Amino acid sequence: MKIIRNYFVVGALLMLCLPLGNVEAQQGGDVAVIVNTDNPVTSISMADLHKIFGGDKQSWGAFPAVPFVRAAKAHERDVLLSVIMKMTDAQFQDYWVKKVYSGTVAHEPLALMSTGMQLEAVRSQKGGIALMNAQDVKDGVKVIKVDGLAPGSAGYPLK
Amino acid sequence: MSRTFTMFAITCLLVATSYGQNSSSSDQAETIKLLQQEVEMLKTRLAAVESRQEQSPNGAQLVSATYTPAAAPAPAPAVQDNPAMQNFGLVKGIKFQGFGEVGWKANDHHAGQTPTFGFSNGPNGNFSIGDFDLFLTSRINEKTSVLAEMVFGESDAQSFDIDMERVLLKYDHNDYLKLSFGRFHTATSYYNSVFHSGKWLQTPVNRPLVVEFANDGGLLPTQAVGLSVTGKIPSGKLGLNYVFEYGTSDTIRPDINDREAAETDESNGNGITAGIYMKPDWAQGLDIGGSFYHDRLNPTDTGFHIGQSIISGHVVYTTPKFEFINEAFLIQHAVDGLRTFNTPAFYSLISYSVAPKWRPFFMYQYANANSTRVIFDDVALRHGPSVGVRYDFNSYVGFKTQYEHTFRRTPLSGINTVSTQLAFRF
Repeated sequence: MKIIRNYFVVGALLMLCLPLGNVEAQQGGDVAVIVNTDNPVTSISMADLHKIFGGDKQSWGAFPAVPFVRAAKAHERDVLLSVIMKMTDAQFQDYWVKKVYSGTVAHEPLALMSTGMQLEAVRSQKGGIALMNAQDVKDGVKVIKVDGLAPGSAGYPLK
Repeated sequence: MSRTFTMFAITCLLVATSYGQNSSSSDQAETIKLLQQEVEMLKTRLAAVESRQEQSPNGAQLVSATYTPAAAPAPAPAVQDNPAMQNFGLVKGIKFQGFGEVGWKANDHHAGQTPTFGFSNGPNGNFSIGDFDLFLTSRINEKTSVLAEMVFGESDAQSFDIDMERVLLKYDHNDYLKLSFGRFHTATSYYNSVFHSGKWLQTPVNRPLVVEFANDGGLLPTQAVGLSVTGKIPSGKLGLNYVFEYGTSDTIRPDINDREAAETDESNGNGITAGIYMKPDWAQGLDIGGSFYHDRLNPTDTGFHIGQSIISGHVVYTTPKFEFINEAFLIQHAVDGLRTFNTPAFYSLISYSVAPKWRPFFMYQYANANSTRVIFDDVALRHGPSVGVRYDFNSYVGFKTQYEHTFRRTPLSGINTVSTQLAFRF
């Protein structure tokens, strides 16, 4: 009887933990780097991502690099700020004000309100690049590797 | 005991069920989120179609002809042909930004000293609005843009001058070749290239004297009209960049000791600036570099021809929390090839954000010019510390307060200055 009771208790505790794990997975999924399908790039380094979203790399060589970012309170923006830029949202905005004012770039990355708009923007811009939850990626854009790793693989840095 | 276990188990079950319901709710939320995304995508497409319709006399036919479902996207049109992208502001339109300040300053210096930024010298102190800066950028196409900066600067007795600080037609061929034509801030110093006129951008109240704008008493030819070429140098993780400028400075400096003295028009010939700096991948925020500038001065009323050469070097490390800027200069004036005067100068600025809104700072600056020389006789020897704190109310408004002491060559006495500044952007 005692064994059954303990089994019941442990089972209940396990049931408690299971949904917690799911919630975490939903909030911390991999974030893919998407580019236009005409862009020949297949992989990018974290350092180059920092340069592109920081305005220090503005071309893919033959055509301009056009970064798009999500507006505040999106998982992709959190990953951009915490993993790539290592800044708070306010610091990121201040950084871009200074960057544009210095004259080295014409404008800050366009902040888009939804993944749908990001998809449209990257499809329309040959040099477009954006971060997007891997599960939200649809046809018409290309997912590139980061430091040689694809979303979903072990050690993938953008999550 | 067994009752306790049973109650605990039932509680766990109830909580687990509750989580299960949450999970179900989160699934629904995810579905709603996806539906919202689809709606937004359709709205975007509809906006594009409507824009085309407005441009076409036969718009109604275009609507049915151009609609495609989201799952099978149409081939990507060039951005110039995509009205939706134009509506996003990617191509057309002028973007304005502004910077302003309201300041108060008092010092123990005599009133005869030339006032700057609307401040008069003296212990009573006075308010000034300093520089009001309007900054605009506009993209012409993917590689070409325009940048302009106009400053309404307060001079004396609340009178204002308009200065076209920068106006540039820029063409960015790629990361390795970027051309700018027009009036620019010269690359004779790091500070001049990064901070420009907006006081909100800089941590202290004022610029160091050596890199102050020439029309406010600074020592460098801070502005020029001509051509600027910048870009990266293929160097891997070293991150080397170059800058080359050719232009006319036409520098006019006031005498910073005597408000009644005539300004010095240096009547510069065309000058060149060549610089190189590195921003390595392995140390984000580090910037090390230097530049060389040369032109020929023909100062008014002196009859001298002076060759001016300026060598500068900087070591800078900045992160969102930490700022460490060091620059050193050697300004050399060769008078008619007969005699050479050297003016060494440097400044060092360090600041650290001790709390999200508080940033104390310390700066030390030094400039040493020969008092008997033709140029910079008003500067002579000046050096001393500045210490203060900046408080940022938010990302738009910052308040700075600062104490500064300037030592001067005897018999001139030192100057104590207290200043505050409300700097903002909009």
